[in-house]
Amino acid sequence: MLLYTIKRLLQGIITVWFIATATFFAMHNVPGDPLINDRAMTATTRANLEAKYGLDQPVVTQYVIYLRNLVQGDFGISFTQENREVNDIIREHFPVSAILGILAVMFATVGGVLFGALTAIYRNRLPDYVIMFVVILSISVPSFVIAALSQLSLVSLNNVVGRTVLPVAGWGTIQHMLVPAMVLGLGTMAYLTRLMRSSMLEIISSDFVRTAKSKGVPPARIFARHQLRNAIMPVITVLGPAIAAITTGGFVVELVFAIPGLGRYFVQAVQQLDYTVIMGTTVFYGAFLVFMVIVVDVLYGFIDPRVRME
Amino acid sequence: MSETALAKDTAPVLLEVENLAVEFDTYGGIVKAVRGVDFKVDHGETLAIVGESGCGKSVTVQAMMGLIPMPPGRITSGSARLRGSEVLGRNRLNSKEIRGAEIGMIFQDPMTSLNPTMTIGDQIAEPLQVHKGYSYRQAFNEAIRLLGISKIPEAARRAKQYPFEFSGGMLQRAMIAMAISCKPSILIADEPTTALDVTIQAQILDLMQDLQKETGMAIILITHDLGVVARMADEVAVMYAGKIVEHGSVDDVFYRSAHPYTLGLKKAMPTNDPSLQHKLLPIEGSPPDLFAPPPGCGYCARCPYAMQLCNVRHPDDFFLKETHFSRCWLHHADSPNKPQELYFRDKE
Repeated sequence: MLLYTIKRLLQGIITVWFIATATFFAMHNVPGDPLINDRAMTATTRANLEAKYGLDQPVVTQYVIYLRNLVQGDFGISFTQENREVNDIIREHFPVSAILGILAVMFATVGGVLFGALTAIYRNRLPDYVIMFVVILSISVPSFVIAALSQLSLVSLNNVVGRTVLPVAGWGTIQHMLVPAMVLGLGTMAYLTRLMRSSMLEIISSDFVRTAKSKGVPPARIFARHQLRNAIMPVITVLGPAIAAITTGGFVVELVFAIPGLGRYFVQAVQQLDYTVIMGTTVFYGAFLVFMVIVVDVLYGFIDPRVRME
Repeated sequence: MSETALAKDTAPVLLEVENLAVEFDTYGGIVKAVRGVDFKVDHGETLAIVGESGCGKSVTVQAMMGLIPMPPGRITSGSARLRGSEVLGRNRLNSKEIRGAEIGMIFQDPMTSLNPTMTIGDQIAEPLQVHKGYSYRQAFNEAIRLLGISKIPEAARRAKQYPFEFSGGMLQRAMIAMAISCKPSILIADEPTTALDVTIQAQILDLMQDLQKETGMAIILITHDLGVVARMADEVAVMYAGKIVEHGSVDDVFYRSAHPYTLGLKKAMPTNDPSLQHKLLPIEGSPPDLFAPPPGCGYCARCPYAMQLCNVRHPDDFFLKETHFSRCWLHHADSPNKPQELYFRDKE
């Protein structure tokens, strides 16, 4: 198991290196120059930046400089926001995105597993139809629509109660986090529900569940000990990418709810061609995704004994 | 008549199934899978239910055990009485669970019949915890003992392993250990050896016979393998298209076969005796459509001796002796044809 983990980590590092390289060369092929924009930039600043990143050197030299900085954990300084290091941007804003993401993932997983199991058990009956209708709806409607609608409902709710039960936007307390987390996790929850449903249906009609019934095991115990654990496997498999997707893909929700997360800076950087911020956040997000996939793979081994053996 | 003999006569049979019929709703219509099945089993007896795939043998026992998903399945008539009390549609009898405690069951494919994420020991311990209120530790220790009885070496170590670490034969032993854990009075074995290779088959059958001798439980053995029947059974019920076509002691059914289908099965059985020069003869055709079962004998489309009557009227029970009957019009007194290869009552 330990060997497996180490092997996966090494593979992960290579993957991250690929991501960093691809981002670097992609950025170099983007037309435009962040140093020529409306804001006046002194010749000295320009010279300093060119010297630091070797911008007047050949691409290969720039690549070596970039990698050297990366290994030392230095993502550089923002081209457009003066005196702000990319590391600082990540350090300040990623925790906000991460907390929001974790809440959303928890909501998505618990909801997905629960609703998926319910729809399978009540297959082709009313609960199944109702839940699957909501699921299709939440997959089809884009998150900014749901975000705006939920804000609207919050306004009405607060008006009816007469005080602010849940704030409409902003960040700081748990009340601020609840609704954005649900909106952010909704799509993933719907996806996991469908996954769990099909997996559960397969398990319900499997031979070993029939064996458990023939042993006279009560339905609740069959559900908990025989069905759930086996049906949850595919959900766990996609959980790694899902965590990363939620944590890194939240900028729409962050924007609508005025949450100071990392996603906003990422989008801004792309608009302003802020090379260092784009490359820094892309590599960081990439590394995060790779890491989450590894964590889930290792976790998988604890749930499925067949994986543990290898 | 002595007093014990009298008591034996009045005591209800261990299990008595009467006129059991099961249907399934499908998109194509209603499938009449089992169309009126009767049989009895008593303590220490082995009843074999024989027939080809789809003849309703598994559905019969699964209906009894409440293992048929309803819907789409439906028990349309019949009763199954355990010691005289009805069990169909019930889970408990005199506050004792039927499934697992009164009747144990093992299945065809041990590879898929065990939970892949639970240890073997935990799975054997489960019925003990559920039915007997054992603590986890008690139940697990009992599971190790049961594995030992089922002739699994190093039972204590093996109990902590998962199904994927076992071979097919060992898994079936574990299944047996699980099925007998609560000392059931009946063990239902649904094609227990079909998925195993021949040497392992023999060991599994021996194990079942040994356990039967020890505990006096009844065995209902479902199979299409006549070799297994000859080795294990006291009584045989031959099923075809959802009905029993011949029923009798194993010797009667094998050596005094009185139904053309039983004969067809025997001819289709491979043999390794070179002196017999036996040619494997398949039964031509295929079983009738159970969406619309024929009004007469189910076998008549494939039967070499079929008469016009067979098409329209279901044969009565013709008793060759008290414990041996065949449902075939050839046994009627007016039948013009009495084929040599069949056994008839007046044959000396």
